[in-house]
Amino acid sequence: MHSSPLLRLTRLGGLSLASAIAGTIALAAAPSDAAAERRTSGLEDQPAVRHRMLLVAKRFELTPMFESTINADFRHIVGGGLKLEYHLSDMLSFGAVGVFSTSLDTGLVGKISPTLEDSVDDMTREPSDDEFLQHLNEMPLHGAAYVSLTPWYGKLAAFGKAFVNFDFYFQAGVSFASLKSNCDSSICDDDHPGTVDDTDPDNPIQPDLNPNNDPPLNDGSRVGLYLGGGIHVFLNEFLALDLTVRDYAFSDNPSGADFDANLYVDDNDSRFMHHLFMGAGLSIMLPTKVKRTP
Amino acid sequence: MRRTPQALIIALAAGAASLLGTQASFAQDGDDEIEVDPEEGTGEGGEEPEIEIEEPPEGDLEADTASLEAESSAADEAVKVDAKVGDYKVSWQDIVTVIRKPFLKIRRWDLMPMLATTMNDNMVRHVSAGAQLSYYLTDVLSVGVEGQYYSKSFREPFDLVARQARRLPTINQYNFSGALNFHYVPVYGKFAILDKNIVTWETYFTAGLGITQSEVVPRDPRFPGFTNLLITPNVGASMRFFLFKWMTVNVGIRDYLFVDKFEPVNRDAMTNATAEDAKENADSAFINNVMFQLGISFWLPPTFEYTTFR
Repeated sequence: MHSSPLLRLTRLGGLSLASAIAGTIALAAAPSDAAAERRTSGLEDQPAVRHRMLLVAKRFELTPMFESTINADFRHIVGGGLKLEYHLSDMLSFGAVGVFSTSLDTGLVGKISPTLEDSVDDMTREPSDDEFLQHLNEMPLHGAAYVSLTPWYGKLAAFGKAFVNFDFYFQAGVSFASLKSNCDSSICDDDHPGTVDDTDPDNPIQPDLNPNNDPPLNDGSRVGLYLGGGIHVFLNEFLALDLTVRDYAFSDNPSGADFDANLYVDDNDSRFMHHLFMGAGLSIMLPTKVKRTP
Repeated sequence: MRRTPQALIIALAAGAASLLGTQASFAQDGDDEIEVDPEEGTGEGGEEPEIEIEEPPEGDLEADTASLEAESSAADEAVKVDAKVGDYKVSWQDIVTVIRKPFLKIRRWDLMPMLATTMNDNMVRHVSAGAQLSYYLTDVLSVGVEGQYYSKSFREPFDLVARQARRLPTINQYNFSGALNFHYVPVYGKFAILDKNIVTWETYFTAGLGITQSEVVPRDPRFPGFTNLLITPNVGASMRFFLFKWMTVNVGIRDYLFVDKFEPVNRDAMTNATAEDAKENADSAFINNVMFQLGISFWLPPTFEYTTFR
């Protein structure tokens, strides 16, 4: 039998008829189809987390940061800078990072340098200490502009006490760097590396085939690719610890020496190289108030 | 057709709920997030209020997690329905907001085949294959053993230094290592991928003691190398991602510390020519061999049962 729900409702006093009718229509209309869909989940299209704090969406992120190379060959690049990012949504953002740095010799340089000749001797293939050190370059400024994707977010409990939110993000974009090398003219005194100097046609000067006195050609501006990945660990609603691994990839020749073994230094000795950095910063999210998802 | 009376009851409940106010919904306005697993539902709106939850298949962590989420949803449904009764109120305090741990490790074995590679040596890169076997004494503490076999390859600076600075680097390769380790799990968490799938994970720290065999790579192949057996403490941190009741994926960083013995700088036909002499006069240096590790854990027994109430 299919009795009318409306008739039963009229026997109940004190109820809001409109609410009951609306509820009845909505719910009683379904059963005829319900059997077939009994095992259909009503949550299929629902988000994984409700009432989630949108810790990054529609917010500016300002991050004073520290950054250092990982496993550099000749010189560690260590510096501080700023990251500025705007989060279009809780997954997509764009931003830029810039870092001013100083350079520190690696342990490898510390081992090589003391064993080299104290003074220049062009009769040997071995560089002097000055020739070796002055060919190495530095990176006083570097940075990137990027698009960032934050596909993972979550929360963690540390020692069962501290519960914090976090997210993982991945970045890709364009990197830039300003490289600097200071080779004194008394050291890098070959003005025609690898070529014949025929300013005096009667007495052409053959290349000396000594790369140690060639200009290093490893300074100036570089543009390349940028990849990064990191984690925000939110200390509260507007402060987050920001840990990042960044790869600034561009053409470089850190040693400033002959790479392709043609016995002189030219632009072909530069190659596309990855400059891997690890950074840590404190992100300030603006505005400081967060919204929640429904 | 036969469901209509039940539908009426639900309709009444809905109407009554609309009259009684929305205290329950206000209760949701707290700080807690509510996780919903789309794989598990509570039936259509016109169904009976009780929720039928099928037992998840054995060894299916995702289904298990979904089951727990569904129980929370059942409690949610109970709040709406029971509001009309009046003599029994279910409040949000009665609802379990922290679900049971989705993965138990206590009294289980963790067998983890793994690959690892050097992170901090710009002269030689070691890649290792190995395995780790651990037994969890509690859910956060385990003891285990590990073993690794190493393979080496020279990196770009090894050749560059020889060619550009005319210096031959002094290099040791690692052959194998083994250790007894303790693991402690202080951090656990969960994250959502693309706002859809929830994955649980944890971080564990490792400390152990073992041995490493290193071998000198002679600068001049005319002279023999020699091997060293080195006492090797290690410390590290790893993350474990739970995929199934019987399988997890682990990534981590481990620092193996030892004092290695290197080929002496002065070596010719008259000095340190033999392996014994070279080892006797070897140069020692403290080494941090930092390695990135990736492994897949297989858990034994492959399933577990909860022994405590929710």
